[in-house]
Amino acid sequence: MEGNLLNWIIFLPTIAAVLCLIVPSNRAVKVIAILASGVTLALSLGLFPHFAWWGQDAAGIFGGAYGQKLYEVTKFTWITLGEGDNATPIQYYVGVDGLSFPLVILTTVISFLAALASWNIEHWKVNHGVRGYFCLFLLLETGMLGVFCALDFFLFYIFWEVMLLPMYFLIGVWGGPRKEYAAIKFFIYTLVGSVLMLVALLAFYFYAPVGHRTFDLLKMATDPEIQQAFGSATFLGWRFAPFMFILLYVGFAIKIPVFPFHTWLPDAHVEAPTPISMILAGVLLKMGAYGLLRISYPVLPMVGPEAAWPLAVLGLINIIYGALCAMAQTDFKRLVAYSSISHMGYVLLGIAIMTPAGLQGAMFQVIAHGISSPMCFFLVGVIYDRAHHRDINRFGGLWLTMPVYGSLATVGFFASLGLPGLCGFIGEFWVLIATFSANFAWAKPAAVLAATGVILTAGYILWMIQRVYLGKQREEYKGFPEVSFREVAILVPLAVLALVLGILPEQSLFRFMNGTLNQITDLCARHGDMLTAAVGTFARP
Amino acid sequence: MVGIAHPTSMSNIEQLLVAGVLIPLASFLILALCGYRLGKPLAGWVAVLAIASSCVLSAAALVKWHGLDEAGRLAARSAPVLWAYLGSVPLAFGVNLDSLTLIMFFMVTLVSTCIFVFSVGYMAGHSDEIDGLSKFHRFFTYLSLFGFSMLLLLIADNLLLLFISWELVGLCSYLLIGFYFHKKSASTAAIKAFVTNRVGDCGFIIGLGMAYLYLGDLSLSGAAQAFAGQWQTHGPLFSQTFLGLNLATWMGILLFCGAIGKSAQFPLHVWLPDAMEGPTPVSALIHAATMVAAGVYLTARIFVLLTPEAQLFVAVIGCITLTLAALVAMVQTDIKKVLAYSTISQLGYMMLGMGVGAWIAALFHLLTHAFFKALMFLGSGQVIEGCHHEQDMRKMGGLWRKMPVTCGTFLVGVLAIAGAGIPAIWMPNHTPFGLGGYFSKDEILAVAYHRVYGEENVAADAPVGRGEAEASPHTGNTAVVAGAAPIQNPKSKIQNAALPPWLFWIPIIIAYITPFYMLRAWWLTFMGKPRDHHVYDHAHESPLMYLPLVVLALGTFFSSYYLFRPLVADAAPTPFLTAAFDGEATEAADAHGLLIGHTTHAALARIVGGAFVVGFFVAWVLYRRGLGLAEKLATALRPVHVLLSHKFFFDEFYGLVFVGGTMVLKAVSYAFDKYVVDALVNLSALVTERLSWISGTILDQGVVDGAVNGVGRGTWSLGGLARSPQVGRIRNYILFAAGSVAVVVLWMAFA
Repeated sequence: MEGNLLNWIIFLPTIAAVLCLIVPSNRAVKVIAILASGVTLALSLGLFPHFAWWGQDAAGIFGGAYGQKLYEVTKFTWITLGEGDNATPIQYYVGVDGLSFPLVILTTVISFLAALASWNIEHWKVNHGVRGYFCLFLLLETGMLGVFCALDFFLFYIFWEVMLLPMYFLIGVWGGPRKEYAAIKFFIYTLVGSVLMLVALLAFYFYAPVGHRTFDLLKMATDPEIQQAFGSATFLGWRFAPFMFILLYVGFAIKIPVFPFHTWLPDAHVEAPTPISMILAGVLLKMGAYGLLRISYPVLPMVGPEAAWPLAVLGLINIIYGALCAMAQTDFKRLVAYSSISHMGYVLLGIAIMTPAGLQGAMFQVIAHGISSPMCFFLVGVIYDRAHHRDINRFGGLWLTMPVYGSLATVGFFASLGLPGLCGFIGEFWVLIATFSANFAWAKPAAVLAATGVILTAGYILWMIQRVYLGKQREEYKGFPEVSFREVAILVPLAVLALVLGILPEQSLFRFMNGTLNQITDLCARHGDMLTAAVGTFARP
Repeated sequence: MVGIAHPTSMSNIEQLLVAGVLIPLASFLILALCGYRLGKPLAGWVAVLAIASSCVLSAAALVKWHGLDEAGRLAARSAPVLWAYLGSVPLAFGVNLDSLTLIMFFMVTLVSTCIFVFSVGYMAGHSDEIDGLSKFHRFFTYLSLFGFSMLLLLIADNLLLLFISWELVGLCSYLLIGFYFHKKSASTAAIKAFVTNRVGDCGFIIGLGMAYLYLGDLSLSGAAQAFAGQWQTHGPLFSQTFLGLNLATWMGILLFCGAIGKSAQFPLHVWLPDAMEGPTPVSALIHAATMVAAGVYLTARIFVLLTPEAQLFVAVIGCITLTLAALVAMVQTDIKKVLAYSTISQLGYMMLGMGVGAWIAALFHLLTHAFFKALMFLGSGQVIEGCHHEQDMRKMGGLWRKMPVTCGTFLVGVLAIAGAGIPAIWMPNHTPFGLGGYFSKDEILAVAYHRVYGEENVAADAPVGRGEAEASPHTGNTAVVAGAAPIQNPKSKIQNAALPPWLFWIPIIIAYITPFYMLRAWWLTFMGKPRDHHVYDHAHESPLMYLPLVVLALGTFFSSYYLFRPLVADAAPTPFLTAAFDGEATEAADAHGLLIGHTTHAALARIVGGAFVVGFFVAWVLYRRGLGLAEKLATALRPVHVLLSHKFFFDEFYGLVFVGGTMVLKAVSYAFDKYVVDALVNLSALVTERLSWISGTILDQGVVDGAVNGVGRGTWSLGGLARSPQVGRIRNYILFAAGSVAVVVLWMAFA
């Protein structure tokens, strides 16, 4: 039956989490976790035929209005709210389109690799509770996949919260010295965001005209009466739509994270164990951008043009301020964390200008960063496991000590730097070009400023490489073993993905998502002449 | 692609070129994955074999191309392949098949082959391990990657593909400059090179943005056509201005920024001298012969997008660069630094040539320069290797006895760069004799002369092919159509105006200085008496290294007017470039190798024909008895000498302003992050905690507990829990959150 595949993908990790509680040994728990995330990955690859360009006419993938081309849909009423005319179903409604599909694949890939990276949990500082760790890990995977697949706002909210709690414990229990501080900071920040989201959720329900009330995200975006009502209503004396947009934005901005809500990220990363950092950077940060594109813009498209310049300014601050802060770090993990902030700035900038090229770039950057930053975090983890510290200034000559590791690190960090031929370049380049050609008065200066971020990025990454990998070998690190087979098995897939995305962006990514992104820009363009005037729509092959 | 029906499958010539690009890539993959098993010297020979086969393939392509007529050449271009959509603009990549690509391809592969062979000898002479890491195969891995990237750059027909390969050669440059990365100076030089280039790339990206926005096409031919169209319709590129210059000019200048970085032009020239930290074959191949010339190649490719104002910008940058670099080269004592500055200076000449419209001459100079500069660098590598890594010329001298082949071939290079030849002043219709540089540099100067003092304007005489191209847009989309570009834009202020005279006179003066500093370097190294016997006694040369020198020396001899120039001229984008000069020059064409009239040539020959004699003579007088005289002179002119030997203090200035500025900014940013943003977050947490204390301790314990005396014990324990900060914060927070949500729900339900 169509639809079951996606449900299996979402809930297989949960089933495995339950199994983890039953099986006798720690080793069995680890095997189950890795098998489960592996099978989830394999199942998610089963989504490819829906999106693959072979054997389908292009209109089959790209045609139709927003919300009409969904795959693996499961939809049934879960709870009915109200009675009679007012009866509103809260649905279990999941499905994938071009926006969520790449993120589902990214989640399963990163989760599998992070599970592999957790294999040596017995050697961590906090090495107890293997069972609990993997159980929470698998629950987290369900939460993440659910967020990306849910098409009902209520369900989305549930999954959003489901993901929050395991993350809190994973950082708070298995983290570094200041784990409690970091975990609580993360938790409260995200909770503030989700409470604001909850207000928006309720407001969306109450402000829709009676008889049209719904939690269905696609219906909210496409029902003209709801759109009409959202566009004209007021809320506590303010215009409804911008107010809701801000509420949602804060929730998502905390996740991206956007200045000034970003300070939880370096702390969370520094304290989280390596695999959790990989998930945090690779998947969790993407939810903010996803939320903006799945909820904020489609449901409140009338706000898009107004929101453009503030979001672009915040994006620029992220890019440049994040890069400067990254340059100031001496803790290796903090540096990578701030570089994430800088890179996510391009995502926000690309979304803000709302042109097809901008969205393409933003989403590509989302996926590209989802590959390069887990790789960077794992690279940091590899030496942390050996040196038990992360002070950049105390390293040196590691390329000589561990040549294979050094070479793989070069690939990872150059992907992060945005070297053409690797994944980081495409997103940045697309966003820069799209920003420059956007039809706003501030677009060109913004593009020029954003382009200077390219120089700063090169600066802090190369400086870090010089201090950690180049230079003379240090005595205390001479005995370090070369990367193990397991470590190579985690790094090489990421490196290969970085290469494939960088060399064949169309075939590896754009093909799948351009259709949906185009529908979203179309949706927003109806509300702002300026957007249509900008760069038009996608040429459909 | 503008309605031209190109075959979708690649022609034979294109296949040859693409194979030529892919073979070094294969070699890179082989060496990267199992190079350490191949060991020394096998890994090196794999790379040599790869690049040599590319060279053979490109020679075959060149021969095939030579046999084709105009129609056949057009037919040999296949349609580009779609890579991705940027918004609605398709980006398609293909092979930019024209004479320039082919001759550049051949030159690069030939020079590379020589240098790869040399490297096998050079690297074999070094100890195999730096601290345990085998470096022999790593060197050839990088070299192969460089070969691939550089060749990709040459065949790219799209500005974006050009940029991608452009960055890849930059990566190779970074890796190779930092090859001896256990030395801090090497890794710092590598960073400097990469970051400085990124500054230029930043401008280039904005230029690409302009091309995307206003031209709607990033392919070289498509952009050129759209540009011509904009000019005809007076589109936004020409009607809108920014800071007094029209957008078309800005686009040209911004795209040229990339070339400023890569070709080490003022003000981004500072990285190239430091790049000499890399092994000498790398300096020869990447930082003299091929990669740094890529900036000139780029300028040649975007030439049709340059307005007269943008061209003037190019010329001025070139002129400043060639002057600064030549002056600094006069006082350097490190043999590689002299060559580095001379490279910058020669690149300045090429840019000047581009700027004054001497497209053919500039590229011709690029080709000849590649041979003689590679020759001299390898010569210096031989010297350095033979002298146990001594690079200071003050400790050399008299090496000709120990290294006769190196000495002789180096002299060939010196003669070539000095522009030595026998000018045919006295017999105007006679074929002159000269080395490559003699023809190419003089041709640049001749065109500059023509633009400064020539009759009226060159351009106006030109029977520009615009009409034809517009009339039949289906006949070709290649660089030939690009000839329709508005080199003479009537709306432009300086359009037909003569260039300022200093753009001619300063390069002339520098043409006297070039032979001086080159002969100085040669004399100090090979002639005179040995100044350091320790160095002298060790000196030796080895055949694996000097055979490539001989090949390159032969190349320097034969890369002359008669072999290379016709092919370059063949690819010229603008009919006017050839036609304008051809018009009055048909009978003068043989005179000096310049397609310019008698008057220009005769005047020029009088001014600069003997420059190399003068320069050589001064150097000989100054240095024939060792360093004594020169040192006296340096003391006498101390301020000047200090200024020059400190390279005009560019490094100090940039270090203070840009690096220092960034360091301050980063510290300020992070302090702000830590002490303002994060402090606010922690403050709000603290406030919540205090509030929880008030509610827990004061209200709960004091008021409620005091009032309800009987349940005091239970409340006490709860309050104790709340005192623990984390638990207290969350509990209260959730209470607060749930409460406020409830209020909102109630309010909305009843509103």
